[in-house]
Amino acid sequence: MSFFETKWETTTGHVAGIALMFVAVGMFASAVLEALGGTHGASILLAAVLTLVPGASLWLFTRPGQVDRATVFNAVAGTWLVVSAFGALPYLFAGTFQRSGITLPVVFADALFESVSGYSCTGSTIFGSHNLISDQGPGILMYRQFTQWIGGMGIVVLVVTVLPALRASGLGLIGAEAPGAGGDRLAPRMAQTARRFWYLYAGLTALIAVALFAVGMSPFDAVAHAFTTASTGGFSTRDASIGYWDSVAVEMVIMIGLVLGAASFTLHSRTLSSHRPVHLEDPEFRAYIWLLTGSTVLVTLLLCSEGMGPTNALRAAVFNVVTLGTSGGFGNATGPGTNGDFVTWAAGPQMVLLVLLVSGGCTGSTSGGVKVMRLVVGLSHARRTIRSIRYPRAVLLVRHGGSTMAEPLVERIAGFMIIFGILVVSGTLVVAALGTDLVTAFSGVIGSLGNMGPALNKAGPTASFVDGFATPARLVLALLMLIGRLELFPMLLMLVTPYRTLQERFDFHRA
Amino acid sequence: MVFAGILLVGRVQNPDNIRPADVLATTTLGVFLAVLLLAALYLLTGAIQSPDSALFEATTGITTTALSVIDPRDLGYGLRFLRASSQWIGGFAALLTGIIVLPFFGFGREFTDRSNSANHRPLVPDKWSGVRNIALLYIPCTVLVWFGYMLARKAPFEAALLAMSTLSTGGFTNSPTEFADPAVQWVAIAGMILAGSSLVTIWHLVRGGGRPHRQTGLMLYLGLHGVGVLLLALWATGPDLTGLRQGLFVVAASISTTGFPMSVPGNWAPAAPVLLLLLISVGAMSGSAGGGLQVRQHRVLMKLAMREMARQLHPRAVLKVRLAGRIAREETLRQIVVLQFLFVAVVFATALLVAVLGLDLVGALSAAIHATATAGPVRTLSGEIVDPINWPSSVRMALLPAMIFGRLSIYPAVLAIAALVRIVGNRIRPRRRYLARRHRASS
Repeated sequence: MSFFETKWETTTGHVAGIALMFVAVGMFASAVLEALGGTHGASILLAAVLTLVPGASLWLFTRPGQVDRATVFNAVAGTWLVVSAFGALPYLFAGTFQRSGITLPVVFADALFESVSGYSCTGSTIFGSHNLISDQGPGILMYRQFTQWIGGMGIVVLVVTVLPALRASGLGLIGAEAPGAGGDRLAPRMAQTARRFWYLYAGLTALIAVALFAVGMSPFDAVAHAFTTASTGGFSTRDASIGYWDSVAVEMVIMIGLVLGAASFTLHSRTLSSHRPVHLEDPEFRAYIWLLTGSTVLVTLLLCSEGMGPTNALRAAVFNVVTLGTSGGFGNATGPGTNGDFVTWAAGPQMVLLVLLVSGGCTGSTSGGVKVMRLVVGLSHARRTIRSIRYPRAVLLVRHGGSTMAEPLVERIAGFMIIFGILVVSGTLVVAALGTDLVTAFSGVIGSLGNMGPALNKAGPTASFVDGFATPARLVLALLMLIGRLELFPMLLMLVTPYRTLQERFDFHRA
Repeated sequence: MVFAGILLVGRVQNPDNIRPADVLATTTLGVFLAVLLLAALYLLTGAIQSPDSALFEATTGITTTALSVIDPRDLGYGLRFLRASSQWIGGFAALLTGIIVLPFFGFGREFTDRSNSANHRPLVPDKWSGVRNIALLYIPCTVLVWFGYMLARKAPFEAALLAMSTLSTGGFTNSPTEFADPAVQWVAIAGMILAGSSLVTIWHLVRGGGRPHRQTGLMLYLGLHGVGVLLLALWATGPDLTGLRQGLFVVAASISTTGFPMSVPGNWAPAAPVLLLLLISVGAMSGSAGGGLQVRQHRVLMKLAMREMARQLHPRAVLKVRLAGRIAREETLRQIVVLQFLFVAVVFATALLVAVLGLDLVGALSAAIHATATAGPVRTLSGEIVDPINWPSSVRMALLPAMIFGRLSIYPAVLAIAALVRIVGNRIRPRRRYLARRHRASS
């Protein structure tokens, strides 16, 4: 067998290779756009080639091997790391983040941050008054939106659609990447399930794009914002984000799109197949709508009590509650200090937003955060535990809607929340140690781990993360974004497989 | 009040069957009544003029939270003693709740020191012996610290008041310059570390049943002090000897949740206040008078986090959590997880409330954490101590439930509220039914 016929058995390499090819396709499209209306077409093209070549090589010279749980975590986390690193190339080659007085490692860190924030659908950005979005060409802007779109549904889900060799392991891969308590099957075959997820996602994106175009956005902006609305990402092609249009109609479309993006795609699929809306039959979606409605009412009242007019208060409240509650992260502030700039609000409404930063959207959606289902089950679990003290001999179950939750799932949710808490506390301490104040560090860490985007204080909707965080702190946040996007465990356990491999090869454990 | 108490005892019949939840709810009621009694005393003696301030001072006293709104120098000897003894009694009540009430009627029974063996006498062989043994440790320790303060040239009366506030992790002081003398600081540091240590561990060591270095909880607790001092020296106090001593004082006051005030001059790095809030949330050892979520609960949570990671790789494995050589029951683990959930929920709810009532975000978060962990004093981001008298009255009132929740390890307070809701519900429902019947008849 010749060298070129030899295939190295590595699931991580194979999945990462295909993912890189998808990313390269997005870069090629962006290069074409940039060539038509910008100045960095060649740079983005070079990035695309440099992404395609290793991607294709990995795809050609590797094959998926044994897929146990540790390998699944390694494959998913490894793929996301590789994609995020290569995803920074267009920014690097185009010199997007080069500013006077900063060194190359900082430029690389900024590019990496923007790439991770994009693919993880966080929406935190390096762009700001020192580095305007409006100065960028259409290719870079569309590439930035594309990163969120591809990251929203999941790169690995995309890979599963074209990788029949994985067979049943596809569910494990999707489950490890999908937001929520596990992957749902929409079809008998996993590839079909993954494809159906992507069809739904693409359909929702197209609908939002048409609606945004209808309410006055240009075709370019409509498509770009549809990408980041369906993915609940929050990147915009404008420095003032949605505040640029200062239009209630645009904000309405964005909010509806965000709520749909943050609802379970399984519900969308069931709605389409049964030809009737089933969303309100789902207890999680109902709780989610109650949470958004209650928060909106509370924030509106608090803003009114601070002297803002009722109409302005309602508009500012509903948009910011929805955009943070869905982990969207868009802003409707027309400038610093205006109604929509929530960092200038009183502490009361900001505390409500802080709670929303934690909660996030529904399971099986494109949103981040802890997820409403986990909070609802957590509350039910707390109620059961308190009742068990009152009735020590009673057999009490945790219920979610009308169904009983299995104990292992309840324990898994409890475990998730403990680890989330540990990461928030330790992350806040580390980020604060790197020079960030308490509120910015705390909300920034929660926002990054929950893939929310803007945070409070110095990391508000009109601010750049360069102003609020030092470069090492931004790298910590980028790591937290990836950990949060993959629902903690894949990133935390990704080194188990390499460790086992080393252990087998060198037998150091026995030694 | 005494008359009302005697009347109540005479009129009320003992129930045949006392359920655990009733004991826990009664504990809350007891604390609540003690707060009301103390507030009434403050008002009746004229020590405090406004009812809200009296209620706040009484609550901070009984719950051993060092957030005082009065200047003790304006008070006579009797009232100063009353103020310090309220904390001392509150600390004793906290010990009884943590070591006897909760394990016997709530959770963590397997961690109670009950087993009798040839070379070991347990702290809590039964409930009443447990109360006696706890008193046998609490009183001599207080006397020991009292002598310590007197050796550090404190007047006997002042030293007694300070010793009571130290051992109860209360944190009330007699004057702003209470800890100006380094010798007093050293005694306070030793007293606070002692107060935050588990009485079960101290009992073991005193009775010769164990060695300090083999007590994992104690080692973690002391280690936390070490790490805290090093980080605080890095971020606030500076590495010189005075700085280290001041750092150790602030760290011990935070971890034990005693909250004695110590102004640390210099530039505070942004991480310093975060560190102190973190230490306050971690809190003292379980089985001490200290507040916070406590060290044992954190150990369990860390072990649960590790177990969950292992379960991700081996979903069908049967993995048990061990603590102090004993396997923790799944029910206890669930209760500890929910305790953490409730602790965070109380902090967020309180922070939201006080933010709405006028505090800024940092102040709201700090005040909520301090109140729930029954610690003090609240600091600004630059390390300056905040005087709660400058807070609006509504903010101080909003902090009271958090202090009581925190002091009672949350569960008893939640059960008391549940019982209250049930009683009110039962009162309302027959009336609703009656009204509905009358409405039907009239129509």
